[in-house]
Amino acid sequence: MLELSRYAFIAAIAAVSAALALHVVAAIPWRGFSVLSLAGRGAMATEASPAFRATTGRFAITLGVNAFLFLTAALILRTIEAGHGPFSNMYEFSLAFAWGTLAIYLYFDARYRLPAMAFLVLPVALGLLLYATTLSDEIAPLVPALQNDLLLTIHVAVAILAYGAFTVAFGAAVLYLIRSHSEVDWLPSHSVLDEVTYRSVMVGFPMLALVIILGAVWAEIAWGAYWSWDPKETASLVTWLIYGGYLHARVMRGWSGDRSAWFVVGGFAATMFTYFGNYFFSGLHSYA
Amino acid sequence: MTSVTKRIGAPRTNLWESLGFARVWGFFRSVRLALVLILALAAVLLIGTILQQVPPSIRADGAAYEQWLEQARLKYGPWTDLLEHLDFFSVFQAPYFRALIALLVINIVVCTLNRWRSISITVFRSRVRMTDGFFQHARFNATFESPMPAPEAARRMKRSLSFARYRVNTETGAQSIALLADKNRFSVYGTFLTHLSIVLILAGAVIGGVFGFKDPQFVVAEDSTRGVAGTELSVRLEHFADEYYLDGRPKDFRSEVTLFKDGQEVKRATIRVNSPLRYDGITFHQSFYGQTAVMKVEDSGGRELYRGGVPLSWQTRDGGRPAGLLTLSEQGISVWVIGPRPGENDPLVRPGEMRLEIYNPDGDVDRLETLTQGEPKEIDGLTFTFERESRFTGLKVVKDPGVTIIWVACTLLVLGIVVLFYFPRRRAWALLTERPDGTTEVKLAMPSQRNLSPAGDFRRLRTRVGRVLLSTSATLRSKDGEGGDRA
Repeated sequence: MLELSRYAFIAAIAAVSAALALHVVAAIPWRGFSVLSLAGRGAMATEASPAFRATTGRFAITLGVNAFLFLTAALILRTIEAGHGPFSNMYEFSLAFAWGTLAIYLYFDARYRLPAMAFLVLPVALGLLLYATTLSDEIAPLVPALQNDLLLTIHVAVAILAYGAFTVAFGAAVLYLIRSHSEVDWLPSHSVLDEVTYRSVMVGFPMLALVIILGAVWAEIAWGAYWSWDPKETASLVTWLIYGGYLHARVMRGWSGDRSAWFVVGGFAATMFTYFGNYFFSGLHSYA
Repeated sequence: MTSVTKRIGAPRTNLWESLGFARVWGFFRSVRLALVLILALAAVLLIGTILQQVPPSIRADGAAYEQWLEQARLKYGPWTDLLEHLDFFSVFQAPYFRALIALLVINIVVCTLNRWRSISITVFRSRVRMTDGFFQHARFNATFESPMPAPEAARRMKRSLSFARYRVNTETGAQSIALLADKNRFSVYGTFLTHLSIVLILAGAVIGGVFGFKDPQFVVAEDSTRGVAGTELSVRLEHFADEYYLDGRPKDFRSEVTLFKDGQEVKRATIRVNSPLRYDGITFHQSFYGQTAVMKVEDSGGRELYRGGVPLSWQTRDGGRPAGLLTLSEQGISVWVIGPRPGENDPLVRPGEMRLEIYNPDGDVDRLETLTQGEPKEIDGLTFTFERESRFTGLKVVKDPGVTIIWVACTLLVLGIVVLFYFPRRRAWALLTERPDGTTEVKLAMPSQRNLSPAGDFRRLRTRVGRVLLSTSATLRSKDGEGGDRA
């Protein structure tokens, strides 16, 4: 079971890399230059390029879906083997984070057709998966504080979806900022990018609230205090506040547009800080 | 917002103005202030995560705090004094942190009071008839030509829109019928729900601080009973057990306890890390554990002065040996019982031994002795015996009446966000004007919304209205906010 999970994990890495590569290929305007033109058939290649790019783009999305499915399989197999949700160490959590990112990204891509988003979101997912390869994938038994199946599952499952949503929001916000600062025709309009950013924050913001609240519920049970200013707790609150700031700034005169997009970029930085926080600070979350 | 809304909330008397309250009110009413406060709080909290924080108990103890600062100096070097001066090692207790929270609470309350009435008016007394200008300039609008008379068109629209979960009001005038379709109108209260629940959470925290207590170091030795200060409860530890996985990681810590109220047994329970014991609003959490020395002390006549477990729940300063205090109040002496340093060969206290530091009533060290398990030793006319080792459990005893309020507030917080985000309010106005030939012109308009464009909802609404007016092909003009005429 664990072997199968590892194979599915490797397949997911391959699929994400291939999807990213195909997105790059599909994004290059092959006008006047193409691999085929080198072979002396330039005219034909130029005419065929829009169709070629469209096909490549579709393949890239299919590969993204495949990566998601492989990762789903890897997580399910691991859950069966371990007997609890794959949420108890950084290896499992990195896979789950990549899974959440892909899930939310694929949803928004299906809804808005945003090939450019792949350049920002897929590297994050790939980075998380590659990072996971450096970690031990042994299944370790749960220490007493984590022995709460219900809360472990919900608290962390909601967290990875929230983080995934924030990654997508980050991608859309960066595209928004790129569009503000350069004349590019291949990006969606400002209003679409703003809507995607806002909608993904709409997913992530209440979910992060739920993560913090469930964390407090659990902390009250296991540690005897719903709030201890534990660094990970506090960092997640900082993240939530930054997105709260975004929600207020976005509808304020003089703060909508670029400025509120920067909030989302800052929020993502805070998300990553919260995620990797165990390396910067010690605290009650130190087992993760 | 529509033209019916008017900013009400602050009383407007001369006194109010002259005392400058209006300006204060205006200051706290602003969303800009909210943004500044949110960012300032985020910055302070970030400092609290990045810099090491001193536990409040150490902060309160001058000598311990000095010691703590010394080790902080190793990490932060010459910056330490500045950071200390700015309260950066205890930001969560710092006056400016509390001030920020207080300002945020005032900000939320003032914003709520300020907007409550105007929002309630749009919910309960929303205007039905709008001007021509409104229909012309609304961000989303469409005009239909219907072959049926106005009352029939209005009736059909009403039925169809109600089916789409809009609440429909109509107003019949001399030349035309005005119509308002309103969906999720209470959703706008979600913003108050969310913001006020933040205030409620803070209130819960204050209530817990004022009316609750916590003892994070409630130590009970096996086979002994200890009362919980300030209550009629006492806890007896029957047995403590710890289990480990093969790789040495902890698997389970559990305390089997009996709870007494006024000396009467009321509950038996096993306390584990994830299953505390709750009784009468008081919660007992498994927190730590350790070694206990079971001691017997007799006087020269063989009278038993003490017999029971001495939990070694302290640590000696010189090298982390577990230590516990045994007090013989009759004799006015106190005895520190010190066990061997765990996990290594301790040259001073060997396994199976306990070291005694005996203090006289003046608080000076009188004697230093070492006891071997099971061998009585006479010291100054008293016979000390270290009978055997057992365990103690360290519980965290908490009474927090604010917790319930906090869970209710948290639920409301999430509920408010979900309602606000996923059940957005949608209002559309229509004006039906009947022509002399019995046909009707229908104008439909939806204003834009600041948070999220209602374009999709307007498109669905337009299709629906077009269908019931039997004139899908007869849309004259439409603006859906994206500039295109999609009729």
